[in-house]
Amino acid sequence: MSSLASLDGLESKPAPAVSGTRLAVRRFLRNRLAVVGLGVVVFFVLFCFVGPLVYETDQTHTLLQQVNQSPSGAHWLGTDAVGHDELGRLMYGGKVSLIVGLSAGVLATVIGTLWGAAAGYAGGWIDAVMMRVVDAGIAIPALFILLVVSAITTPDLTGLVLILGLISWLVPSRLVRAETLTLKNRDFVLTLRAIGGGHGRAIVRHILPNSVSTVIVAATFQIADAILLVAYVSYLGLGVQPPSTDWGGMLSTGMTAAYSGYWWLIVPPGLAIILVVWAFNAIGDGLRDAFDVRGRA
Amino acid sequence: MSAVRRPAAPVAGEHILDLDDLGVEFTTETGTVRAVRGVSLHVAPGETLALVGESGSGKSTVALAAMGLLSGNARATGRAVVDGTDIVGADEERLSGLRGSTVSMVFQEPATALDPLSRVGKQIAEVIRNHRRISAADAAERAVELLRRVGIPEPEQRARSYPFQLSGGQRQRVVIAMAIANEPALLIADEPTTALDVTVQAEILDLLRRLAAETGTGVLLVTHNMGVVADFADRVAVMYQGALVETGSVEDVLLRPSHDYTKRLLSAVPRLSVAEADGPGERPAPEPDAAAAGEPAVELKDVSVVFGRGKHAVHALKGVSFAVHPGETLGLVGESGSGKSTASRVALGLIGPTAGSVTLFGADLAATRARARRALRAGIGVVLQDPVASLDPRMTVGECVAEPLRVHRRRLSRREREALVADVLDRVRLPREMARRAPRELSGGQRQRVSLARALVLEPRLLVADEPTSALDVSVQEAVLEVIRELQEELGFACLFVSHDLAVVQQFARRVVVMRAGRAEEQGLTSATLLHPETDYTRRLLAAVPVPDPVVQRGRRAERLATLAAGRTEEQG
Amino acid sequence: MSTYSFLIRRVLQALAVVLLVTVVVFCLLHALPGGPARGILGPQATASQIAAFNHEQGLDKPLPVQYLYFLNQLVHGDLGMSYTLNEPVSQLITERLPKTLLLTVLSAVIGLLFAVPLGVWQAVRRNKPADYVITTLSFIAYSTPVYFLGLILVLVFSQVLPWFPAQAPQGNSVADILAQPQGLVLPVVAGAATMVAVFSRYMRSATLENLTEDYVRTARAGGTRPRAILTRHVFRNSLTPVVAMLGYYVPVLFGGALVVEQLFNYPGMGLLFWTAAQSSDYPVLLGCVLVISIATVTGTLLADILQRVIDPRVKAGRS
Repeated sequence: MSSLASLDGLESKPAPAVSGTRLAVRRFLRNRLAVVGLGVVVFFVLFCFVGPLVYETDQTHTLLQQVNQSPSGAHWLGTDAVGHDELGRLMYGGKVSLIVGLSAGVLATVIGTLWGAAAGYAGGWIDAVMMRVVDAGIAIPALFILLVVSAITTPDLTGLVLILGLISWLVPSRLVRAETLTLKNRDFVLTLRAIGGGHGRAIVRHILPNSVSTVIVAATFQIADAILLVAYVSYLGLGVQPPSTDWGGMLSTGMTAAYSGYWWLIVPPGLAIILVVWAFNAIGDGLRDAFDVRGRA
Repeated sequence: MSAVRRPAAPVAGEHILDLDDLGVEFTTETGTVRAVRGVSLHVAPGETLALVGESGSGKSTVALAAMGLLSGNARATGRAVVDGTDIVGADEERLSGLRGSTVSMVFQEPATALDPLSRVGKQIAEVIRNHRRISAADAAERAVELLRRVGIPEPEQRARSYPFQLSGGQRQRVVIAMAIANEPALLIADEPTTALDVTVQAEILDLLRRLAAETGTGVLLVTHNMGVVADFADRVAVMYQGALVETGSVEDVLLRPSHDYTKRLLSAVPRLSVAEADGPGERPAPEPDAAAAGEPAVELKDVSVVFGRGKHAVHALKGVSFAVHPGETLGLVGESGSGKSTASRVALGLIGPTAGSVTLFGADLAATRARARRALRAGIGVVLQDPVASLDPRMTVGECVAEPLRVHRRRLSRREREALVADVLDRVRLPREMARRAPRELSGGQRQRVSLARALVLEPRLLVADEPTSALDVSVQEAVLEVIRELQEELGFACLFVSHDLAVVQQFARRVVVMRAGRAEEQGLTSATLLHPETDYTRRLLAAVPVPDPVVQRGRRAERLATLAAGRTEEQG
Repeated sequence: MSTYSFLIRRVLQALAVVLLVTVVVFCLLHALPGGPARGILGPQATASQIAAFNHEQGLDKPLPVQYLYFLNQLVHGDLGMSYTLNEPVSQLITERLPKTLLLTVLSAVIGLLFAVPLGVWQAVRRNKPADYVITTLSFIAYSTPVYFLGLILVLVFSQVLPWFPAQAPQGNSVADILAQPQGLVLPVVAGAATMVAVFSRYMRSATLENLTEDYVRTARAGGTRPRAILTRHVFRNSLTPVVAMLGYYVPVLFGGALVVEQLFNYPGMGLLFWTAAQSSDYPVLLGCVLVISIATVTGTLLADILQRVIDPRVKAGRS
């Protein structure tokens, strides 16, 4: 027994006990772009949800006495073609863009995760068939589907989230499938299977908890893509109905006005979209490096 | 001839490599790590210095520092003089001029050391053309010549192969060809045979020895394997925690170590017992097999496993039969691709046999229903090779160990479960408090003991251990094997022990099955089979294992080479 | 695996995917309230008019029958008649597909010509100011809706600075369009921007990953200079996964073409599709989606084959 104790000291000591989560947080905070991205997202959430309480504007009535005014002390970002204050409208529209984008991104990730995990864990011909379905979905460009849908119907907000979620779950499903495939052959899962542990336990206790970081990273990128997709929706004729609006809607209605020199009708919503989508991408990038998982480049 | 070619080095005297107070620091996320401290050593032309130590001792860092190949977060201090040039602080242009011509390196992992998209001939030619102004055609010709010199058959064709088309041993020969392309004065070999099977290891060591002797090249051999040291080195330097503890001739260090650490290290190395050199010897009469009388814990009967179908089918196992009886350890040995891991997975029920039958605790697995099969599996414990992958990083040690209880004894209260976990942690000699720790905070040896605790928490009748110690240092390996052995005596489980290491199996297993290309080549009592093997294959396998005694190993090598030469003449005759 | 059996297998897989696409599209079109008839004949149409239209177009038969009928026609190259343009859909598509391919291939090639060197350069200058600037710029390019980017391009390079026309070249053939190259500049730039953003990122991370590979160390140990390691070894190894990604990117390229064509009034399939959507011209919509999907699947197949050409391991069936 004495030999055991003495030999123990010979082995090199493992990494100091810094928890995985704390290490990830530290890595994330060191990524300056990601931290800026986080700041941008926080700013826009406050701007859209708290802003209207501070900066109250009328976004329902047509105010013909003040259409297309350029930025001034009264209207910091000017007014649009029906006289709505543009800054207030940016908050108002941003709420819709963020809610729809977030929900659609999360929905897509949930569907993708379930599909990908099922395919990866089942393996064999079930996996093959399920992944051919994903291939087929990817083969139809999302914008084409959205345009076909717009030819058929004009959905409400919930419908919009469903449609966007249903066309963008394909990429996360591939990621999660790949992750599941490696996890199910990891030694700790094999050991569990060998001593008679069930599939349920393998999935719930091992595979899902270990894919969490992959899923979180995928979700962040998915939200970025969804907000971008929401910006296309009005352009393609599927947008929310006036007087409600979103950034994409503001942008596409402002496009004709841009040729008349009303730059304040397109630059603010355009920048808002770019900033928020950029921010979510930067966060995703930082999270991916912090968790050290594979995801898109 | 290269010794003549080089001008007398003004600073280093007769030494081709001179390390003087070398230190290396790494800046990491968790702080600065001093990997190497005050290392001074030298290599003379034509001699081989072995730098030995366990993982984390800093031996590979020394080798990389001598090449100027340290990673970006490393900082070297002191001096590392190669042929008159101090590598520490030399600029990249200067280093590029030295590397591959004056000093070159052979790496551990032949699978990844070569550019996968370039033909091997081209990669060798590139090294030649880095240092000599010769035409591409001439360089290609030289590359073929080098491939011939490192013993690759049909070098003209092989030069046009991509790395993936070559075996691991052949790839390592290509890396060696690149290293000797410009007849360097110093060759640094960092664990050159660790990733290879033992028969291939012997061939590569023979090759390196021949090449070094032919050109008078000095060799710095970095290794953890004392057998390799005994086989190859003239002098030995022992490293421990970043510093040198002992330097001396190979006989002195291996046979008469002076430092405590070296003594402990050498005593932990499993030694292959070898039969008296003269004659085939008498096979001892098989001792009465008491255990065989009882019902085997697991029995494979004529099991075949085929992966894939049609042209791509791989026959992983071909008619393998063996049984493990209660209280005994059966060793399953073989080289990579021999099917030993597949066989253990069949025994575990993770892979279904294509033909043949598996009987677990007297029940035919194919004939039992799912529910009954599950109950049977409560009697199995498993320890797999990789200490990192074996434990779920998202669970605590306690949760990992308790998992079999949650599967098979769901009625237990939390307190009862915790008590059992604490109990089994005691048994594998880990502190009870460790239950609350995360696996990543543990060392490799501790993790493997956690795996063992998990395997034993249900008091199994069969333990399947698939290379449980091959990722561990020898000292830790000894401790883990000791625990398994003591617990087996106490609990009386049967143990199926898979390993590539004949010395470990010889010490640890009562009976042994030698696997080769999916077949059981030979099986019997370890004391008989591994001392007086019946088949040529086992004999060759045993002869290729280097023993950590330079005197004995010299004799074994001569004998092995004589046998090989005799075999060759026979073939030709 | 031989090249033939690989090709046969991949083509069969591609066919399966296209078949699935037809099912998806077919279901999508029949999920609409009132069916295609309501869309064509307008809200004033009487029930009998709708019934007559449905009978005439075979829309009163059960769905599976309609689907088989549709498939049968498809095999014979018949995609039906456009409701609004009174021309066979197949003819409309054959006329416009080459022009869309011209736009997308041009965007892709130009995009890659910028993206690949940019990514390599970023990897070499990792975490230096240049890397941060380009990373930020590519995220911005990725985050900009193509139509907004197109609008800005027109405002800046056509309105403020009268360098390029705001309207794409018109014409019936690819040659007609190529005859007016200055009109192609803005559409191609708009189409290539996202591509540059995405692929410079891919190339950057692939190069970074390869720079840490063992073979780089081996080459350094052989005295190969850093620049030569980059050009002879790392570049080719990094390009392989990027080529594989190219296959997945084909649908995004076509999606971009849809917007670009509408924005610049470029007479390709995207614009045809767009107008068809406005007028609920279902046969045209269906035909376009189908052709675009086949083009996507073909693009993926080509990327696979390209990968086999540059990576000997893929050819040997291991990777």
